[in-house]
Amino acid sequence: MNFDTIEYKKYNELFYRYEHSSGLNCIVIPKKGYYKKYATFSTQYGSVDNEFVIPGESKPTKVPDGIAHFLEHKLFEQKDGSVMDKFAALGSKPNAFTSFNQTVYLFSCTDLFSENFKLLLNFVQNPYITDESVEREKKIIGQEINMYRDDPGWRANFNLLKAMYKNHPVRYDIAGTIDSISEITKETLYKCYKTFYHPSNMLITVVGDVDHIKVFEQVENCIQTSDKSTEIKRIFPKESSDINKSYIEQNMPVSTPIFYMGFKDSNFDLEGDEILRYEIAIKVLLSMLMGKSSRLYEELYDKSLINSSFEMDFSLENSYAYSMFGGESVNPEEVQDMVTKEIKLLKKQGLDQENFNRLLNASKGRFLRQLNSLENISRSFINLYFKGVTLFDYLEVYDKMKFDYITDVFDSHFDIKRMALSVVKQK
Amino acid sequence: MIDTHVEEKLCKLFEKNGITVYNIKSNRFKTNTINIFFHDNLNKDTVALNALFPSVLRRGCKGLPNIKEINLYLEKMYGAVFDCGIVKKGERQIIHFYFEYISDKYTNEKQRNFEKAFEFLMNIIFRPELKNGSFNEQYVEQEKNNLKMIVKGRTNDKIQYSMERCYELMCKDEPFGLYEYGTIEQIDEITNDKLYEHYKKKIASLPAEIFITGEMEEKDEAFIKEKLSLVERSPTQKLNSSIIFKCVKEVKEYEDKMDVNQAKLCMGFRTHVHPADNDYYALLVFNGLLGGGMHSKLFQNVREKAGLAYYVFAGLEKFKGLMVIASGIDIKNKDTAQEIIMKQLDEIRSGNITEYEYEATLKSIKTGIMSLKDSQLYVVDFYLSQLINGTHDTMETLVEKVNRVTVDDIIKVADNVQLDTIYFLTSKSHENSN
Repeated sequence: MNFDTIEYKKYNELFYRYEHSSGLNCIVIPKKGYYKKYATFSTQYGSVDNEFVIPGESKPTKVPDGIAHFLEHKLFEQKDGSVMDKFAALGSKPNAFTSFNQTVYLFSCTDLFSENFKLLLNFVQNPYITDESVEREKKIIGQEINMYRDDPGWRANFNLLKAMYKNHPVRYDIAGTIDSISEITKETLYKCYKTFYHPSNMLITVVGDVDHIKVFEQVENCIQTSDKSTEIKRIFPKESSDINKSYIEQNMPVSTPIFYMGFKDSNFDLEGDEILRYEIAIKVLLSMLMGKSSRLYEELYDKSLINSSFEMDFSLENSYAYSMFGGESVNPEEVQDMVTKEIKLLKKQGLDQENFNRLLNASKGRFLRQLNSLENISRSFINLYFKGVTLFDYLEVYDKMKFDYITDVFDSHFDIKRMALSVVKQK
Repeated sequence: MIDTHVEEKLCKLFEKNGITVYNIKSNRFKTNTINIFFHDNLNKDTVALNALFPSVLRRGCKGLPNIKEINLYLEKMYGAVFDCGIVKKGERQIIHFYFEYISDKYTNEKQRNFEKAFEFLMNIIFRPELKNGSFNEQYVEQEKNNLKMIVKGRTNDKIQYSMERCYELMCKDEPFGLYEYGTIEQIDEITNDKLYEHYKKKIASLPAEIFITGEMEEKDEAFIKEKLSLVERSPTQKLNSSIIFKCVKEVKEYEDKMDVNQAKLCMGFRTHVHPADNDYYALLVFNGLLGGGMHSKLFQNVREKAGLAYYVFAGLEKFKGLMVIASGIDIKNKDTAQEIIMKQLDEIRSGNITEYEYEATLKSIKTGIMSLKDSQLYVVDFYLSQLINGTHDTMETLVEKVNRVTVDDIIKVADNVQLDTIYFLTSKSHENSN
């Protein structure tokens, strides 16, 4: 059995990588002494993939919004009933989630790993969808959509993407709408399945105290396809680097307004370690600008314009990128004014190198802390893997980060013209 | 690739001034943690005061007088994490201080961070930033506003809110019915002097525990002892135990109206089981069987068969012997959902429990308990709960006892479970649109 071993001695981490003849990769990240075993089977297929050319066809296919998520729900149904029951009989917890770019099926267990793993490998490879079950699922997903419609934080978050993007499907809810899912049929679901669930577009990860060779053997025995697939052509509408609109507001019952704001970034054509470097740079910059030790945070907090719900993040995917920050505020517009002023001031004054060094170290510490959690390791690993990079490579990128680089990134990313604000408040 | 695995167990180090120090050794994690808990009775006169003072302490202490200085300090410690706040467990309000820092072997200087972390917490708790012999007035006013925002913002999370609201209405004449952050009126009444006096009294007299997880050296114990001996404490305040037995005369029904798309149905039950009773293990299994996962009767019947809900589950408030069944449904389906839910409870009472349901429930509880071990915070919370309940289970003994629960035990527990309150959060516009 051929596999690679990649070690990060200084940090007590390593992983094993095995490639199946179909092009499917399986990664085992051993965590000695952990009780849980956490396995995932994922495909690089999410809510943004709503237009594509099916391998072998020449014309593009457009599918209803929310279909990747709908398919996720439907895969749990098998010819002989729900696969959830079989997992439950083994005492494990199966689950799945769909993001903009991936669909991930998973389970966590403490016992009977290989039995559980077999179930995971089998059910993801064997869809069984009927017209009746599609109709019943529309009711359940309808309730899921309604649940999120009542969540003001979720709304503020998605509205910001609508403000930033004119055409890119990242502006639509992952689960779609009641209307869009009403158009979903068994046939379209199978079409999407055939296109995106080819092993070469997929990844398996196992994190926990397991025997990696046994895992690889099981994958070797359970993967049914051996031929490599041709490339899937994903079609994204043209999206300019400008934002759609600078302000978006929704009225909902909230006592304190909830806001998210951020910058649309067009620098997503990055490859390899460049992706990690750029991501770390922006995250450190966000801390320098408005992290808890910054002048701006102190001012905002002292004026009671933000509270401990204030958070920030940066997302970088293959076809889009943006920063996002926010929380509760009695006056989001004033927060925006102060952020704008601070950015202008910092651009004039220049950034502080000592600040940068300290926050880079702190960021690295927080990254290491994430490695305590099997779920976090797995989730980050999958996301980065589909972009062609490895999670643990962050550590080296941290050590090589240069101050000059982040000052350049600061000038380009924090462009006031590309800033948008989304507010949810009471009428 | 890693040193020999350390057997993790709760180890009591010593007690000083009503503060007990525990250690849970491990070497699996990249970080170590320090958790400090102060226990108080839930009481309407002190609930808001207790909620407020930790957030004022978080603003500044000796040597680090403001948020900025505190965070500079944390960032220098490789992004250490500090927070504090309150939790409600049964009829106790617990004030929690938390610190997590990178294990020494991953820091560049190979420095010892434990002493710095512990000293920091001691300063936060016992040496706050003062002005004119009281708290900094500005901090108190700002934190009062923040606390009021929390209280007003409760309704934002409809799932959480509906469950809390159900319990509150159910226990409105008991301490458990108090919201742990207090009310707007209670917060408004707080003055700086009143808060400072309250803080001094409580911090000196509330029973407390310190849990240290991760790596710890022998000299650290002496260090803690020395630091705690410098703290002035008075005799420890007595704690009440939660009231568990209460007979339900009639089922109460409440409805709130809000501008929502999805209604929330919450049903509150009294189980009459104390967490230190033998019946507690059967209660755990009963709850799991009814609504503790995908195998459960509620999930199978309300969601999978009837397609009424995306989420439906049963949860226990073990400290108070309560159970809530929560679901998000279409407004028009209230009666149907309620009927199917009650039917599942009856099924268990009549012993309609399949081998599959029984086995799956035991296994799922075992997985849940053993999985706690992979998080330092969950392990601490597990042992904290044991201390509160006066029980002495480890994860392993808990699993063993759960495994001994029979179908008859489950039926017996189910028979004693009593519906107390039905709470429905529904739409304002519903009546007009029908």
